Amino acid sequence: MEDDDDLLIDFVMESRDHLSDMENQFLQIEQDGENINVDLVNEVFRGIHSIKGAAGFLGLTKVNDLSHNLENLLNMMRNEELVPTSAIVDVMLRATDTLRNMILDVKNSNDVDVSAHVTELEAVEAAAAAAAETPTPSEESDPAPSAPEAAAVPVVSEPVPEVVEEAPVEVAAAPAKVAEKKSDAKSAPAVQGEANIRVSVGVLDSLMNLAGELVLSRNQLLQVISKSETGGMEGIAARLDQVTSELQEAIMQTRMQPIGSVFGKFPRVVRDLSAKLSKQCDLVVEGKDVEVDKTIIEAIGDPLTHLVRNSVDHGLELPEKRQANGKKATGTIYLRACYQAGKVRIEIEDDGGGIDPAILKEKAVSKGVITAESAESMTDREAVRLIFAPGFSTAKEVTSVSGRGVGMDVVRTNITKLGGTVDVESTIGKGTNIIVTLPLTLAIIPSLIVQVGADRFAIPQVNIVELVRVTEAERSARFSQVKNAEVLRLRGSLLPLVRLNDSLHVGSDDSFEKSDKTTDAINIIVVDTGQARFGLVVNALHDSEEIVVKPLGQHFKDCRCMAGATILGDGHVALILDIAGIAAEENIRSAEELDAANGTADDANKDNEDQQAVLLFQTSENDRFAVPMDLIARIERVRSDQIDSVGGLEVLQYKQSTLPLLRVNDHVTGKSADDLSRVYVVVFEVNDREIGLLAPVLDDIRMVSTLVDTVTFREPGVIGSQVIDGHTTRLIDLFELTEAAHPHWFEDREAVVSEKEGAPPHILLAEDSGFFRNQVVKILESTGYLVEPCEDGQIAWDKLKSGQYDFDLIVTDIEMPNMNGFELCRHAKDDARFREIPVIALTSLAAAADLQHGIDVGIDDYQIKMDREKLLNSIRNFVDHTKAASTQRKTKTSQRQTQKLVGSH
Amino acid sequence: MTTLLKSPAIGSEPSAKQYATFYVGDLLLGVDIHQVQEINRQLDVTSVPGAPDFVRGVINLRGDVATVVDLRTLLGLAETEKTRDTRNLIVHSGGEAIGLWVDRISDILEVSDHEINPTPTNLDGIDNRFFIGVYLLETELVVLLDIDQLLTGKPAD
Repeated sequence: MEDDDDLLIDFVMESRDHLSDMENQFLQIEQDGENINVDLVNEVFRGIHSIKGAAGFLGLTKVNDLSHNLENLLNMMRNEELVPTSAIVDVMLRATDTLRNMILDVKNSNDVDVSAHVTELEAVEAAAAAAAETPTPSEESDPAPSAPEAAAVPVVSEPVPEVVEEAPVEVAAAPAKVAEKKSDAKSAPAVQGEANIRVSVGVLDSLMNLAGELVLSRNQLLQVISKSETGGMEGIAARLDQVTSELQEAIMQTRMQPIGSVFGKFPRVVRDLSAKLSKQCDLVVEGKDVEVDKTIIEAIGDPLTHLVRNSVDHGLELPEKRQANGKKATGTIYLRACYQAGKVRIEIEDDGGGIDPAILKEKAVSKGVITAESAESMTDREAVRLIFAPGFSTAKEVTSVSGRGVGMDVVRTNITKLGGTVDVESTIGKGTNIIVTLPLTLAIIPSLIVQVGADRFAIPQVNIVELVRVTEAERSARFSQVKNAEVLRLRGSLLPLVRLNDSLHVGSDDSFEKSDKTTDAINIIVVDTGQARFGLVVNALHDSEEIVVKPLGQHFKDCRCMAGATILGDGHVALILDIAGIAAEENIRSAEELDAANGTADDANKDNEDQQAVLLFQTSENDRFAVPMDLIARIERVRSDQIDSVGGLEVLQYKQSTLPLLRVNDHVTGKSADDLSRVYVVVFEVNDREIGLLAPVLDDIRMVSTLVDTVTFREPGVIGSQVIDGHTTRLIDLFELTEAAHPHWFEDREAVVSEKEGAPPHILLAEDSGFFRNQVVKILESTGYLVEPCEDGQIAWDKLKSGQYDFDLIVTDIEMPNMNGFELCRHAKDDARFREIPVIALTSLAAAADLQHGIDVGIDDYQIKMDREKLLNSIRNFVDHTKAASTQRKTKTSQRQTQKLVGSH
Repeated sequence: MTTLLKSPAIGSEPSAKQYATFYVGDLLLGVDIHQVQEINRQLDVTSVPGAPDFVRGVINLRGDVATVVDLRTLLGLAETEKTRDTRNLIVHSGGEAIGLWVDRISDILEVSDHEINPTPTNLDGIDNRFFIGVYLLETELVVLLDIDQLLTGKPAD
C-alpha cells in the first residue's frame, strides 16, 4: 500500500506539472485556429499521453478514460484532421478542468462521473472522423439521438462557421453535474500539493556552495575571535555559528530523500530473478523512511541491486535443497536500512546456505588472489571477506549500468568512493548478511585536522576509531616489528602502523622534528576502513572541524591517498586523506593476520581475570584517580579562564551550551589542585545530561584489573582503590559524585521506584567478577529491587530452573566461567517457562560481533557495566513491561478458568 | 625561418588574437588571453603527495581549490628561486582553473594567425607539441603555448 501511495504522489506531482500550463496552451491553440502549431499541440498531447499512461498503470480508470479521449482529439489536431474551434477547445478545456480536479483528489477519482465529458469528446471525434470521410455540411444536421449534438466539427478543408454558435450551449448543459463535483473536490485537495515543491538541483547546489562558504567564514571568524578575545564579538560569533549550522542543516534537508525510492524496485528484481532461477523468495523491506542525500541515493542503486541479485542468486538455495535441510522452501531476504551513529546502515540478509570459508580459500588460492600460506593463517571471517577481493569475481566485464556482470570488488570500490564501507558475515547453513554503511551526506564532513611534516591534512571522523598517545618511556614496550611491518600493541592486539611522514613523502619540517623530540610522545590515529584497522603516525593533532569537500583537479587522479581538498579556517588548503587508499597503497595487513604471525602475541594479557579500561588522572601529586573509560563521552582540553562560576556552580561555556563541572576535591577528601592554565574536562552523561569532571593532569588510559579494594578508601563518590604502577589509585563513581553535587537531579528516579506497589521486582544477576557483582547488587538494591546474585551462568541457570524463584528479569555478564552469558540466555529462551523473562547483558566493551551474537541468542538489551543510570532505566522499562504483561496474562488465565467453571456447571 | 614578419600589431585584424606573455626563466611565453582568468600573487601552495612532478600543488582560489602547475618542470627547464616577480597566472583548461607558476609577467600582444611562425625544432630541446608557434618581437622571440595540449594532452581546436 505504501508503495502505491508513493507512486500516486509522484503521479500527482508530475501530472500537476503537465496540467499547470495546459490552460494557456489550449487557449493558444484556440487562437491559432486553422494555422495549427503542431509543436504546441504535440506538447499538450505528450502531457495528456503521460497522464493517460500512468493512470492506466495505477488503475485510475476514469482519469485514463478522460485523458484517452482528450488524447484522441489532440492526435487528430496534430495530424491536421481537426481544426480547433472555440467550441472544441471549450469542450477540451472543461474536460481538462475535470481532469485536474480528479488528479488533485486522485483517491476518489474513480468515483467521478466523466461520462458527460467522454460523450462530448467522442462526439467531436466521431464528427471529425465522419467529416473527414464525407466532407459534406449535411452531416451536422443529422440528428443523433443518443449522443448530444455533435459539437463543432469543421474539417480543415471546409470550415463551417455557423455551427460554432450553438455548440457551447449544448455542451454547457451536459457537464452541470461534473461542475458540481468539481467545486466540492476543489476544497479538499488544494492543500495537499502545497506540502511539496520542486526545486531545481542547480539552485540546491548553489545553496550548498553558499552554505559551505558560510561555514568557512564562520570557522575563520571563530578562529580570529578565539585568538583576540574581544568581548562583545563572541556573542555575535556564537549567533553566526548557530545560524550557519542551522542553515546548513536546512539546506541539507532539502537534498534528503527517503531510501525507499531505491528499495522500491527490489520486490520486482527479486520476483523476476527468483522466478528465473526457480527459487522461492520473499523480500522483507524495513526502514524505507531513512533519508539520505540525493547524491547517495543516486549512487547506491547499482551496488545494492548487485548485492540483492547476489543474495537471490548465490545466497538462497533451491527449494528442494532448503527442504532437505529442514528449512522452509521459501527463502527470505531482508533489506534493512537504519541510522547508526550518524551514518546509514543497510543490510542485505538472506537465510540461505551461507558462505563456506574453506571453499572460498581454495578458490582464492587457485585464482592466485592469495597464497596458500596466507590462506592457512586466515580466519574464517577474513576468508569470507575474500568475496570482495579484486580478481576474485568471475565476472569478466565491468559495467556500471545494469549491476550485472559487476564483481563484488567493484561494489566495494563504488561504496568506498561514497565514503562508505561494506562487510560480510556468514554462517554456513544459516545465511549471509552483507552490511553496507554510508555517510548521510557527502558535501560536508566532520574531520580531524592533523599535522604531518609541514603540512596539515584532514582525516574524516567516520574513519577514526580512537587517538592513542605513546610516550617516550612506553615506546619500546609498545612498538615492535612483525614481518617487516611496524606495529603497535594496543589492548592485547597488534595494530599495523603507517608513518604518514614516510608514506606521503612529506619532508619533515625542521621545527616539527624538534617539537616532536621535545614532547617525546607519538600521536597515533587509529583508523578503520571497514576492511582493515591500522594506526596513522602523525606529528601533531589540531582541531576537529566540519570541512567542505572540494574536488581535486584532473592532475591528481592518480593520487590514491587523497580524497579531495578543503579550505581551513585560516584560508590554507588542506588535503583530505583517503584512508582506504592509504590502506591499499601500504598493503595493510589485517590485525588477525599479524596476531597469527606473531604467534601467541599477548596471551599473557588474556587471562581469565576481568579487565576494564580506565582513564587515570591526578589532582595533586598524591591524589590519583581512575574513571571507567566506558562511561566517558569525550575529553576536552580547555583554558582555565573559560570556566565561569554561575550561582555558585562552576560551568564551562561550550558549543552554545553550558556544561556543569564537577571537581573531585569538592566531594572527596584530598588536596585541591594547583592552578593550571589549561585543564582537561572529562565529559560524561547522567540521565541524558552532560557533565564535565575536571581532571587537571591526565596520565594514561589503561586496562586494569577489576580487583578493587572496596573498603579502605570507600566514601560517596569513590568505589574503592587499587594499586596501579605502584600508586594507590582511587576509582571514581561518577554517578555518586554527580548525586553528591546535584541531588535534585535524581529525585525523579527515586519517586518512580517507590511508587511501585506490591512485591519488589526480583532480578537474577549472573556476574563472575566480585567487584562488578557487588556494585550492581548495591545499585539495584538501593533502588528497591530484590537481587539474586550468582557467580557464573551455571549457578544462575540452576537457580532459575529450580523454580524456587519467580524472576522478573535476568541481568548477566557475557564472559563467565562454566557457562557464559550467551549460553545462559539461550537456555532461558529455549525453555517455555522462562522465555518471557527479559535478559539484559552487561558488557565492558561492546563489540559489534558480540552484539550480533547476543541478538541471535535472544538478549533483549545491552548495557555498559558501570553506566548506572542507563542500566536502571533499562531495567525499569523491562520490569514495567513484564509486570504489565504478566498481570494481563494472569487476568486472562483467571478469566478462562472462570469460564471453564461456568461451562462445567 | 627565412621570412621574419615584424608586425606593428596595430588595429585588430579578423584573425588576430591577444596573448598574455610572461617569462619562465629566460623564455618568453604567450597564452591566448581568452583562456586567462586572472594573475595573482597567491603563492601559498599546498603540495600534494603523490602528484606528478610538474604539479606544485593546490591553492585556495576564493573558496575553490585550484591546481598549480610548474611550467619549468613541464618544459624541462632549470629551476629558479621564487622572487618578488613570481606570479600565478590562472588559466582555464579542461573545465577547471589551473595556475601557471611564472617568473615574471610581461606585455599583452596582439598577433594575427599569419604572423605566427612554425616552432623551430631546436627550441631548447623542448617538446614542440606544446607550442602553437613563435612570434618575433624586435629583440625577442615569443613562444605561443597550446595550454590545453600542455595541461591535458588534448589538442586545442
